[in-house]
Amino acid sequence: QAFPLPSLPRKQPTVLVVCGPAQNGAIGLVCARHLRSFDYEPTIFYPKRSPDPLYRDFTTQCEKMDIPFLSYLPTEVQLINDAYNAVVDAVLGAEAEVAEGTEPCAAILATLKHIRIPIVSLDVPSGWDTEAGGSGGISPDVLVSLAAPKECARRFGGRQHFVAGRFLPYDVQRKFELNPPEYPGTECVVAL
Amino acid sequence: RAMHVPSAGSGPTGLRFLGQEEAQAIDQELFTEYQFSVDQLMELAGLSCATAIAKAYPPSSFTTSQPAVLVVCGPGNNGGDGLVCARHLKMFGYQPTVYYPKRPSKPLFESLTTQCKKMDIPFLPEFPAEAAFIDELYGLVVDAIFGFSFKGAVREPFGSILSTLERVTVPIASIDIPSGWDVEKGKTDGLQPDMLISLTAPKKAAMHFTGRYHFLGGRFVPPALQEKYALNLPAYPSTDCVLQLT
Repeated sequence: QAFPLPSLPRKQPTVLVVCGPAQNGAIGLVCARHLRSFDYEPTIFYPKRSPDPLYRDFTTQCEKMDIPFLSYLPTEVQLINDAYNAVVDAVLGAEAEVAEGTEPCAAILATLKHIRIPIVSLDVPSGWDTEAGGSGGISPDVLVSLAAPKECARRFGGRQHFVAGRFLPYDVQRKFELNPPEYPGTECVVAL
Repeated sequence: RAMHVPSAGSGPTGLRFLGQEEAQAIDQELFTEYQFSVDQLMELAGLSCATAIAKAYPPSSFTTSQPAVLVVCGPGNNGGDGLVCARHLKMFGYQPTVYYPKRPSKPLFESLTTQCKKMDIPFLPEFPAEAAFIDELYGLVVDAIFGFSFKGAVREPFGSILSTLERVTVPIASIDIPSGWDVEKGKTDGLQPDMLISLTAPKKAAMHFTGRYHFLGGRFVPPALQEKYALNLPAYPSTDCVLQLT
C-alpha cells in the first residue's frame, strides 16, 4: 500500500528484506514471500538463521519461490541505494534487548542508518528501545506496528504508520484497552 | 522433473481445471517440496473465502436484521477452511454461527475451534431441522463440508444435512467443491450453490457450476509450481487474495 508497483522509481520492483535472527526476521521472511506473490522482486539478507523448524520452513518457502538470498550486505551504501526501491527492516523486534549490540545486527544497523532509499520497519525500528524510542538510530519512512503500536511508535516521524492487528480477538483488545481503529473493508492493515 | 502435460479441461483464458489426482498431487507438493504447513495454507484459504464472501455479499446486502451466516463444517480440511473463514467473517462484521458435528481430535482443528469460540462464535448443538428455519435465521450458508479429496458415499450426518441444504433458498457459498459433488463430474441433482470459491486452482467440477459467483482464492501458489502444472492462473488484482472469475 505504501509503495504500489506503479509508483516505484526503479525499472525493476526490487525490495531488500533484511531479516534478523529471531521472530522479527521470520516475519520478514513471510513478508518477502507475499511480496513475491504481489509481483515485487524481493531479495533477502538473512545472515544469522534461526534453528526454529517453523522459521527454517519459511526460509525453504522463500528459496522455492526463487527469492535470492544475499551472502553479504554491501557496506558501500550506494550499492543498496542503486539496486533497490526500498528496504524492509525485519532485524529486531520488540523483544530485542541484547541482540542489537551483537554482530551481525550492529553492522547491519550501521549500514542501514546511511541508506537513502525508504525503510519500512516491522513492529519496531530496529535498534530503537521498544519504549523510549531511538535517537541516532535508523529513521524509517514507514512503520508497520504488529498487533498494536509499541510505546516507541510515539517517536516515529516517518511518512506512514500502519497497524496490522485485525486478527486480535475482542477480549484481548478489551483486556489491554487497545482501542484499535476500524479496519476498512476486508483490509488487514489500517493507516493511522 | 518432467513437465506435466495439461489435461483436457481448459477455460476460455487457458485457465486449467484440475482433476482430483492432480489437485491432490499439487497439495502434497506444497507440503513436502515447498514445506508449507497445513496451518499456513488453511489460514490463507479461509481468509480468501471470507474475503470473497465479503465482496459478493457485503453485510449491508443482508435482509436479516444482522448479517447472520451459517457455516457448516465437515470432518476434514474443508471443515478447517470453514472454521478459519468463520473467524475472518466475524472480523469483517458478520455474525457467523458454526455447525461442526464431526471434529477430528487433532491439535489443528481443536485450536481452530477454540479460536472461534474465543471470538464469541456460537457452535450449534443441532442442525436446524428444516430448510425454512435456515432461510429465516441466516442470510447466507457457507458449505465447508467436503473438499477435493471427497470420494464415494456421503456418510451421516452429512447426507441429511445436504438434503436440507438442497432445499434452502438463501445463497450458499461452497468452499472449493460443492459438497456431495463428484470432484470431476459434478452432480446435477445435488447442491446448487450461488457462489464457489475455488482454492489454488479450479477443479473440473467447477465446469458444471452454474451459480452467480465463481472466485479463485489461495494466492500462495509458487510460480514454479504454477508452471509445472501449467495452471495458467490469471493475475490477481493488486494485493487482493481473491480473484473474481465470473
